Amino acid sequence: MATDDQQAARGAFLRRSLGRLARATGVALWVMVIAFGLIRIAPGDPVIALLGAEAPPAAIEKMRRDLRLDVDPATQFVEYTWGMLHGRLGTSIETRRDVADIIAESLPVTLGIIAVTLVLALAMAVPLALLIATRRSPIVPYVFRATTSVMLAIPTFFTALIGLILFGLHWRIAPIIGYEPGFPGNLRFLWLPALVICTHLVPVLSRVLHASLVQTRGEEFVETGIIRGVSRLRFAWFYLLKPSLAPSIVLLSYMVGVMIGSTVIIETIFSLPGIGRSLVGAVINRDYPLVQGIVLVFGLFVVAVSLAGDLLANWLDPRVGAA
Amino acid sequence: MSLLDIADLTIGIPRGRATPLVIVENASLRLQPGEMLGLIGESGSGKTMLCRSLIGTLRRRGAAILSGRITLAGTDLAHTDEHAWRDIRGRRVGYVPQSALAGPNPVMTIAAQLREAILQGTPGTDVPARARELLDLVQIRRPERVLDQYPHQLSGGMRQRVMIACAIAGTPELLVADEPTTGLDVTVQAGIMQLLRDIRARLGTAIILVSHDLALVDDVCDRILVMHAGACVESVPANAAPRHPYTIALNRSRIELAEPGAPLLTIAGQPPSVGDWPPGCRFAARCSIAQPDCGLGPHPPLRGEAHANACLHPERAA
Amino acid sequence: MNEGRIGIAGGTVMLALLLLAGAAVPLLSEFQPNELVAIPFQPPSRDYWFGTDQLGRDVFTRVFAAVYRDLGVAFLGVTIPLVLGTAIGILLSLATSRIVTALTGSLIDAINALPLLVLAIALIALFGPGLKSIVIVLAMTNWARYARIARTRASVVARMAYIEAARLQGYPWHRILLRHFVPNVSAETLAYALSDFILVIMLISGLSFLSLGAAPPTAEWGVMMSEGRPFVLNAWWMTIFPGIALCWAGIGLSFIAEGMSRRERGAGE
Ligand SMILES: Nc1ncnc2c1ncn2[C@@H]1O[C@H](COP(=O)(O)OP(=O)(O)OP(=O)(O)O)[C@@H](O)[C@H]1O
Ligand code: SF4
Ligand SMILES: [Mg+2]
Repeated sequence: MATDDQQAARGAFLRRSLGRLARATGVALWVMVIAFGLIRIAPGDPVIALLGAEAPPAAIEKMRRDLRLDVDPATQFVEYTWGMLHGRLGTSIETRRDVADIIAESLPVTLGIIAVTLVLALAMAVPLALLIATRRSPIVPYVFRATTSVMLAIPTFFTALIGLILFGLHWRIAPIIGYEPGFPGNLRFLWLPALVICTHLVPVLSRVLHASLVQTRGEEFVETGIIRGVSRLRFAWFYLLKPSLAPSIVLLSYMVGVMIGSTVIIETIFSLPGIGRSLVGAVINRDYPLVQGIVLVFGLFVVAVSLAGDLLANWLDPRVGAA
Repeated sequence: MSLLDIADLTIGIPRGRATPLVIVENASLRLQPGEMLGLIGESGSGKTMLCRSLIGTLRRRGAAILSGRITLAGTDLAHTDEHAWRDIRGRRVGYVPQSALAGPNPVMTIAAQLREAILQGTPGTDVPARARELLDLVQIRRPERVLDQYPHQLSGGMRQRVMIACAIAGTPELLVADEPTTGLDVTVQAGIMQLLRDIRARLGTAIILVSHDLALVDDVCDRILVMHAGACVESVPANAAPRHPYTIALNRSRIELAEPGAPLLTIAGQPPSVGDWPPGCRFAARCSIAQPDCGLGPHPPLRGEAHANACLHPERAA
Repeated sequence: MNEGRIGIAGGTVMLALLLLAGAAVPLLSEFQPNELVAIPFQPPSRDYWFGTDQLGRDVFTRVFAAVYRDLGVAFLGVTIPLVLGTAIGILLSLATSRIVTALTGSLIDAINALPLLVLAIALIALFGPGLKSIVIVLAMTNWARYARIARTRASVVARMAYIEAARLQGYPWHRILLRHFVPNVSAETLAYALSDFILVIMLISGLSFLSLGAAPPTAEWGVMMSEGRPFVLNAWWMTIFPGIALCWAGIGLSFIAEGMSRRERGAGE
């Protein structure tokens, strides 16, 4: 009987994972189509919008050829997909450089911001949620909810400006311009932007974690942990956090997408040479291939992260998706 | 000498300056070594609270012992601090929590949970060997398979067997099982009951078995303690005719239903809820033979030795 | 329950005050939003409560002149996707073809997977900067969030007994849709719209801040903040006051949204 149970469970897990993978692939395909469609749904002729109506016809013709807009859309899509599979994302109109190169250069900066933000957010949200969930005060959760909803209503670009004024200009403990690639060096430039994004991430994360902790706290099995007299640390991990983390992990993987949105503004304010700032520049210059490439990379990244989040949640908490 | 002696135990929730909210009042019970006692009563009558006082987890629910004594073979359990509880839990008192489905930790394998219980009960044992032995004791047939699994992969009956294995890992003198079969199929229920009897026979463990089901308890226990609205109303030897009107009503509803395993506590009216107890006998509003004096003074205490009864008018009860 | 009511009341008062000021200040102020009234960079004073900006315009007048612009655009940016998405979600829930369901489902997932700001910025590359473009872009993208909520809810509604009963009694489809689906589903999408409102306000001002939305000299909070940014150390009032107005609106909405959800939870218990 146990054998059947176990095989059934394994089968179910495999089926679930495959289903999740198939869904992610479907989403990724649509992301490609959306990125590809961007130039093509532009009202009017993008080339004329780019060069101006008075441009010489030869130049217009050349650009149309460069952007491969002279062949039919189906062929374009095949070429685009084929190129993408080989790491070719086209050439920037503005700088004439390979889009993939530009992205490869600026992506680490953005990933750095996200990584530092995640570490900081976890370091703040987990103890905060634990603290609030284990104190039996009627006032604390109330203050917590009010504070977090205020924080969530303050746009990050405003917080960033205030941070810049206070930490950068007034106290001069954060650099206001420049960037240094490479691990420990970049931290000097990343901590403040990360902290700014945390003003949104920590409230969301600690709220969800707090809610699951409160739920876990009331469950019967927590009592067995007390009865078995496990150590404080073991209790906090196995009887409180681990059974509560799954929703937060799923949320976190979703929030990575939201954070990417924030990095666009944050990178502009802090003058960080990340992919978000490239996007803003590309949009202002109407550099369509670069816009397309960045949207694609962002989209695929978000899809991958959310898949990873689901799998991680499943690993942490075997109940997820079972039932 | 009795193994467990509870005398005039009152449990409640302290509320700062206001008077505490009393949940169990003046409970008394004695348990001999190896005795099996059934504890029954409607939902909310305070059974779980009474059990928690035996394992030291009242505080977690904001409750505390307000007065009275609990003595376990010479050890005072009513005034035990958190540190001393560590030597008692698992080693002298085993606990099977209410509801089989929510008892085990969902994010730990069975092996990991058994390991915790074994190390708590008897530090320094050979864990894998003992784990196998325990699973054998609770009649799980293929231990190797179960050990690697997570609770949600097991059936309810299996989960409860695992919980029992954990509870007896330290060979306690007393095992408290809070509704170990609620939510399980009737056949599975019977299996668990048989298992508890086996454990008692093989290890000499005294058992307190909480249940909603008078019939079930009557079959397997030596004695039954009946609770109603936070008070003990009757302590009746198994298979003896009940004398308290509440127990009689329970018993009658059981005979009328005449279906083993069906939920039986279906007598007219609701027990008064916590914080809302009338003076005198709390069963008066539902009692067919209530007399004017029933509603006076404190709740009547249990009187009598082998068969104790709290009713003021036992001669009128049929 | 109580906490919910406090939140709703507090938030409503905050918003009402802002809307009132937004209506009153431009009428009563002696200055026009784009009028050059004084020397540039004057700190807040009795004459110019919020100081003056780099061109010598009155920041106080401009901040409140922006209220209806920011909130109005946000209102459009929420309601159009709300209506579109709710309708699309209900219709999709009625689709029986598995292929259609899977395809539209992953399209909706894909749009939702792309960060809203990134997608909005990319689309603005096509339509050109401007508040009108933002509304168009929101209509093109944000419906997907509502569609997902609506579809989930609508498929639950479809399984409910009274729908079955109505169908068996031979009620025409449009009546079942209007009577049962629309009220049930829109309760849920409306609840989301409230919290979405905050995000959309931030999106509008954020895009304007990046010079991708409203353009100077429009009195708009994001524009004003981006105009003040180069002078932030010496003329902080140019940035801070529009920022506070923006946060005020956001916090008011956030209290209402939070209060609503707490009240709902209270009623559920
Ligand atoms: N923290 C608390 N505050 C107020 N009342 C409480 C609290 N904890 C428990 N109670 C009350 O104490 C009473 C006894 O609860 P207990 O769990 O012991 O009942 P029970 O007999 O085990 O019922 P069941 O058969 O449902 O398990 C219940 O009426 C419950 O409402
Ligand atoms: S004491 Fe009175 S009310 Fe209570 S059970 Fe006996 S007869 Fe009934
Ligand atoms: Mg109970």
